[in-house]
Amino acid sequence: MNAVKRKNLFVLLCVAPATALFFIFMLYPTFSVFRMSFFERGAYSNKESYVAFENFKVLLFDERFIRAAQNTIFLIVAVTVFTMSLALLFAFFLTRDRVFGGNFFRVVFYIPNILSVVVISGVFSAIYDAENGLLNSFLSVFGKKITVLWKGEDTVIYSLIIALVWQAVGYYMVMYMASMSAVPKSMYESASLDGASRFSEFFNITLPLIWTNLRTTLTFFIISTINMAFLFVKAMTSGGPNGASEVVLSFMYNQKDDGLYGYSMAAGVLIFIFSFLLSFAVNRVTKRRVLQF
Amino acid sequence: MKKFLALLLMTVMLSGIFAGCKAKEEKTATLRVAALSSGYEATKAGMWKEVCDAFTKETGIKVELTLEKNLEDVISASMQGGDFPDVVLLATGREAGLTEQFIRDKNLTDLSDVLSMTIPGESKKVKDKLAGGFTDSVATNPYGDGKTYLMPMFYSPCGLFYNKGLFEQKGWEVPKTWDEMWALGDKAKKEGIYLFTYPTTGYFDAFFYALMYSVGGADFFDKATHYEKDIWDSDKGKLCLDIVAKLATYTNPKTPAQANDQDFTKNQLLVMQNEALFMPNGTWIVGEMQDAKAAEGFKWGMTALPSVKAGGSQYSYTWIEQIWVPKGAENIKDAKKFVSYMYSDKACEIFASRNAIQPVLNVSDKLNEENKLFYSIYDNGAKAAMGNFAAYKSVAGLGSINEVFFDPINSLVSGKLTKEKWIEDIKKANVIMRENLIKE
Repeated sequence: MNAVKRKNLFVLLCVAPATALFFIFMLYPTFSVFRMSFFERGAYSNKESYVAFENFKVLLFDERFIRAAQNTIFLIVAVTVFTMSLALLFAFFLTRDRVFGGNFFRVVFYIPNILSVVVISGVFSAIYDAENGLLNSFLSVFGKKITVLWKGEDTVIYSLIIALVWQAVGYYMVMYMASMSAVPKSMYESASLDGASRFSEFFNITLPLIWTNLRTTLTFFIISTINMAFLFVKAMTSGGPNGASEVVLSFMYNQKDDGLYGYSMAAGVLIFIFSFLLSFAVNRVTKRRVLQF
Repeated sequence: MKKFLALLLMTVMLSGIFAGCKAKEEKTATLRVAALSSGYEATKAGMWKEVCDAFTKETGIKVELTLEKNLEDVISASMQGGDFPDVVLLATGREAGLTEQFIRDKNLTDLSDVLSMTIPGESKKVKDKLAGGFTDSVATNPYGDGKTYLMPMFYSPCGLFYNKGLFEQKGWEVPKTWDEMWALGDKAKKEGIYLFTYPTTGYFDAFFYALMYSVGGADFFDKATHYEKDIWDSDKGKLCLDIVAKLATYTNPKTPAQANDQDFTKNQLLVMQNEALFMPNGTWIVGEMQDAKAAEGFKWGMTALPSVKAGGSQYSYTWIEQIWVPKGAENIKDAKKFVSYMYSDKACEIFASRNAIQPVLNVSDKLNEENKLFYSIYDNGAKAAMGNFAAYKSVAGLGSINEVFFDPINSLVSGKLTKEKWIEDIKKANVIMRENLIKE
């Protein structure tokens, strides 16, 4: 055995465990999801029957799924827009201006992120209470008593958005603060000598220089919103009232409980493809020339 | 030296092998019991542990107990891998519907012979101790073939719960017919109290079963729960749905926004704080809400469902928690022995000490004051309603019973859904459910 062969063997042996784990725990389950979406079976019996694309055909016309998909897309768009803009804004002010108690705010904004979803749902249950809730009591200060049903059918999705944004802003703010503080001060100084306003400082210096960071976090965030939405729905609303806050993942989960494993996996496949395409699209759209400083 | 070391290692290895053997032997001799840790366990923990210990003492069979609040989540993963517990205590009608899946897949062991088994440590047979009528309904014989696949474990009367103190204070009578109910609703509304609320729409199942009985008796109930053709176009069917839809208009408008797993206790509070008069619930409510702040003079009261006509029958649904043995269980013989032991005097006593009441003869001696009041509902003229919707093969896109019948009530209350659309959806689902009915 010569040296090259030996080295190759060594490398192979080093890589083997990780590769094996990857195959067993990533590729095989993913493949199984795709395979099972063509079958119909209960969760606890191994009788299964091949139904080809039947699950997908039904799924695309299932009112509950369509509603869940609409909710999910709305959540992704709204939560991303609000979280990203708020996080950027806060980060910009906290790094650029020596805001009084800046570090304090940094900690306060970050706290929601270390709370578990169950705790958050408890907090928001108190905030959204119709009678004695924080929000309604606060709004009632300005005049007549307000009893908005925040978790009612019309408003429940907005209530979810608020909770999701509140939870995520701090984390992304800290991320952006880190990259913003790396932007050299001299750039801002020369810009202000040229008479640049805060507004143009933000859009012409800060944003382009942290773009790589922004791009990565954006993809992360969109995917994580799909997952977080499920957790929030499970803990806060149980998908109700009457499916008004159902999202695709909770739909998928419920189908499993109804004993429709294949159908549930078909929903999983669609979610997989959707997330994949979405991250691909986001990656493409946000592609810019990388700036150095 | 080397030899000695080799010998030593060899011994270690061999003992390891034998250790493995022993562990395996033990495993087959142990009975694996999975039970839901419900409200009874919350009152005073240790109920199941005590019963299992008593069983081991009596029979020498070791028991490995899994006791969880979210039992479905804990045991379902290994069951999907084909590893089943020997005995499961988990009722139908839970949100995850795990028991229903076992019924649908015909994955249960026939327990009919348990009825004629002699209870370990006693001379009586199981059927001699069971109260009559409890092994006759779909709840225990899911395929309607006279075979018992699920044994009735605990039972509890369900009905409409209200603030007895408020009724005494105002001098109101508890309505006996739906007409009196609506009249009371109008009267209470003038004082700012709504007639009705519900914790979550899931609580409508017991309500709706009792309603079907009171509208059309056992005959109509049987037809409706087996999805008979055009059943919701019949006069009785229409009346059932009309009552629910009308009740939705009398419901406290806050209810749907709080009808989720996080906030349902707020709906229960509505009754305790005189914002709504009635709600469907079960006897566990007393323990569940014992720490909540109620209105002054509050006292729990429970009534059966009003009758349709004056002098008609009032019904109260009997909620049964079942115990069953999966078909894939390894130790079916001992599992049956364990199930039969559940009806022994010793076990009944332990269960009753936590207010978990079993359908055995003379159980009423073991009740406490409050429970005597609830469990005496059948002695005071109400009839017992038992059974549930028959199992049907799951169909993609159809939705569960809850999703079709009861979840939309949230939208009926908030006015986002018309009664006509609701009924139309039920009729459509009824056709598909009938086509997929599981028959033996």
